[in-house]
Amino acid sequence: MPPITLLAIIIGVPSILLLAYVFIRGTTGLRRYILTRIVLTVPMVFILGSLVFFIMRVLPGDPVSSALGPKGTPEMIQQIRTQLGLNDPMIVQYGRFLGQMVTLKFGNSLVGGHRPIIDEMSERFPATLELIIPASILALVVGIYGGTLAASRRKKATDYAFRIYAVVIYSVPIFWLGLILQLFFGVKLGWLPISGRIDPIIGTTLQTHTNLYFIDSLITGNWSALGSVVLHLILPTITLGLIQSGLFVRITRANVIETLQADYIAAARARGIREKVLIYGHALKNAMIPVITLIGLQVAILLAGAVLTETVFSWPGMGSYLVERISARDYTAVQSVITVFAMLVALISLAVDVIYSLVDPRVRY
Amino acid sequence: MKSKKMLVVLISVLVLASLVLSACQSKSTANDPSVIVIGTTDKIASLDAADAYSTHDWEVIENVSNGLVAWKPGTTDLEPALATDLGTVSDDGLVYTFTLKDGIKFGDGTELTATLYAQQLNRLLTIGPSCPNDVADALAVPYIKSIEAPDAKTIVFTLTTPIAYFRNILATSPFVATNPKTFPTDQCVLYPKAPIYGTGPWYVSQFNADEQMVLEPNPYYTGNYKPQVKKIIYRFYSDANTLALAVQSGEVDIAWRMLSTDQISELEKVSGLKIGTIPGGSIRFLTLNLTMAPTDDPNVRKAIAYSIDRNEIADTVFGGKVSPLYSMVPPGFLGAEDTFDTMYASPNLDEARKALEASGYSADKPLELDLWYPPEHYGASTAAWMQIIQKQLEATGEMKVTLQAQEWSTYISALTQGKSYPAAVEGWFFDYPDPSNYLDPFTYNGGMGNNLTAAVKGSTTGTPTNDTVAQLVEVLQKADVELDDTARVAEYKQAQEMAADLAGNIPLFFEAEHVIYRDSISGNANFNSPETLNIGGNVFFNYSMLTKTVSGK
Repeated sequence: MPPITLLAIIIGVPSILLLAYVFIRGTTGLRRYILTRIVLTVPMVFILGSLVFFIMRVLPGDPVSSALGPKGTPEMIQQIRTQLGLNDPMIVQYGRFLGQMVTLKFGNSLVGGHRPIIDEMSERFPATLELIIPASILALVVGIYGGTLAASRRKKATDYAFRIYAVVIYSVPIFWLGLILQLFFGVKLGWLPISGRIDPIIGTTLQTHTNLYFIDSLITGNWSALGSVVLHLILPTITLGLIQSGLFVRITRANVIETLQADYIAAARARGIREKVLIYGHALKNAMIPVITLIGLQVAILLAGAVLTETVFSWPGMGSYLVERISARDYTAVQSVITVFAMLVALISLAVDVIYSLVDPRVRY
Repeated sequence: MKSKKMLVVLISVLVLASLVLSACQSKSTANDPSVIVIGTTDKIASLDAADAYSTHDWEVIENVSNGLVAWKPGTTDLEPALATDLGTVSDDGLVYTFTLKDGIKFGDGTELTATLYAQQLNRLLTIGPSCPNDVADALAVPYIKSIEAPDAKTIVFTLTTPIAYFRNILATSPFVATNPKTFPTDQCVLYPKAPIYGTGPWYVSQFNADEQMVLEPNPYYTGNYKPQVKKIIYRFYSDANTLALAVQSGEVDIAWRMLSTDQISELEKVSGLKIGTIPGGSIRFLTLNLTMAPTDDPNVRKAIAYSIDRNEIADTVFGGKVSPLYSMVPPGFLGAEDTFDTMYASPNLDEARKALEASGYSADKPLELDLWYPPEHYGASTAAWMQIIQKQLEATGEMKVTLQAQEWSTYISALTQGKSYPAAVEGWFFDYPDPSNYLDPFTYNGGMGNNLTAAVKGSTTGTPTNDTVAQLVEVLQKADVELDDTARVAEYKQAQEMAADLAGNIPLFFEAEHVIYRDSISGNANFNSPETLNIGGNVFFNYSMLTKTVSGK
């Protein structure tokens, strides 16, 4: 089974089950809402894909000239352009692109090995997923815990410390933070690897099924590979996760402070409920709704951050792939990646809304 | 609840144990003398010899398979590889005949016969021109009429015209023996699935285009360059800074292509690292368009040639890590002559002003020139040295230069079409180590942007723009077919003088290649230049030269 199919099953099946559960349990209004969101995703992806298609062609430059460099004669360039279908009328190319979008086949890359883009993405996408999942978890844990702690100790040293942290970490450029971490933990101390997803030598022993190396090493019982994967994840995860955590600290803090001023909190406090239970059990839970909304919005930012993180750590994911292919004017690859990103953001937004409905029953009924 | 906690504890213990195991193993594998990890920022574009046309692709292909002839490690001298000798050439210079050595097999045990070899080489003439990287149209189709195997041991090349440097062409990657099971005669296979077997010392055992390639010794290899280690792992980096840190931290044993001069200067200070400097053939030059104003005026081109101070560029921007270049043919190549130094002795601002004034320019009516460059393709320092050139030209007081940056994919297309830029910067790296490869492409068929000739479809040379160019074309064509080296040297000397006088290209500097390696790595002392890991003037990295020594092992 191709890794991308296996991956789609691993991610898709639980998502569909969750959606089905919410769909069945929800009210008619919620069902209509979910259906509308799914239907709206289609034109959204179509419009975005079409925009990218035309923007790439309006941009100066050409994938064939770029790849051949000064060694490409005009005859060679024209011959290869014809073979790749780049000399076809724009409307023909657009029709072909729409067909590829609908069938999710995407065609072949215009540069490099001219491989099917689906194959290239099946290697790259799991790498990005493997990076953004722990980074999101780190961002959420640090952000929510830090924000709650700051709110609960308002106007005290802890509060000021987290507020400064939130502003500073959010303003730090990702590549700078990545470089500093590489220099300190990788070069100076020699504790952590600074590049790639797995040790080169251990990597030769890992059998891949999903291209999610963490999962692959677990299911094959390759413990040294598992350790190496985790070690390689630490610095990129910290880089991407901490940068994202700043915003979560701020939004959580603000919302917890607001919730703590609510009447029901005052009533609970008056009933003698412990402060810890009050903050984490009552205030935080109610303050989470805007945070969950933010998670959905942050996905796009996270993917953008992954572009830089992947470049700094030579992490072979979708971000670095996109950068390479934009430079090479690989139209089909760029269109495909943007389409996949658009679908991903749309689906995660939908998932967030579904979770929203689970957290806040007012949406469900 | 309890079972959930147990699960969390179990996973944590598992991950921690793996971390410890991995850390231990990492240490031992990093010190494994049987594995060498090479890092590079190059990417594999194609592994099909009938298609591949980039330095790094060629390096891998030539380690995996051999041609009839090859360059001796560390030199640009040819020696037989799959052939018994350097072959014979007919009196008219049109027919080259080679005899195959006995017992040559691919890594999968398939025997190589002349018939099979000729069949595979003919892919260059049949499917080659339709492959995406199209090396065939550059190095095979224009020169070769037919490739035949009259018997199981003999291969005969019939050329379209005599070519003095044909054996050098034969030593390049497109002419290696390819395995028919991987590379069928009717299809280009750019990214074959591993294992990839050739006739060379190595075979590709694993290949992930974005992460790494693993090479292991070919069990059937009978040549002179047997691997000294069990594995070479090629690790692909997307960022040169990360590669520099990786060699510094010991994640890779060798960093090979492409670190900047700044990064190399920094790495020179790191203990435990060695730096080998290879007098490479990568040149940078200005392309001046003979059919666009204002560079269609010979006085303007000469004024530019008189104004350039190459030493200032080399010292100020590169800290002496590049060398001034006074001819399109870099030093060390057959017939290389510093003709620009002899003719212009630049910087010579008085002569530059004289040339400009002869065309009516003055301090009050300065020459206005747009000078184009790609900001990223030739390295991050390009803008810095372009500014120095701008300053040097404007130092005449009679030139006003505007720098124009354009990103690569647009730039190279506009430049080579010769219709957009009067003056632009360009770079070149040879396909085969011969002066023709530095002069012909910049004279024939548009001259890659200088329009010394007008490109003509089906013509080798194109139509010369003026009589001087016509004479230059004549001399170059003569040198192309001249089999006597002494006569060729004289012809190339004459050609370089004519090219300097025309000033369609102004050579600026040439860059050495640098290989950075940990002190556990050694080249082979029995061959030329072990200090550069036996990478010589042809910039070919033979992995069989490498050994790794770890103390206590």
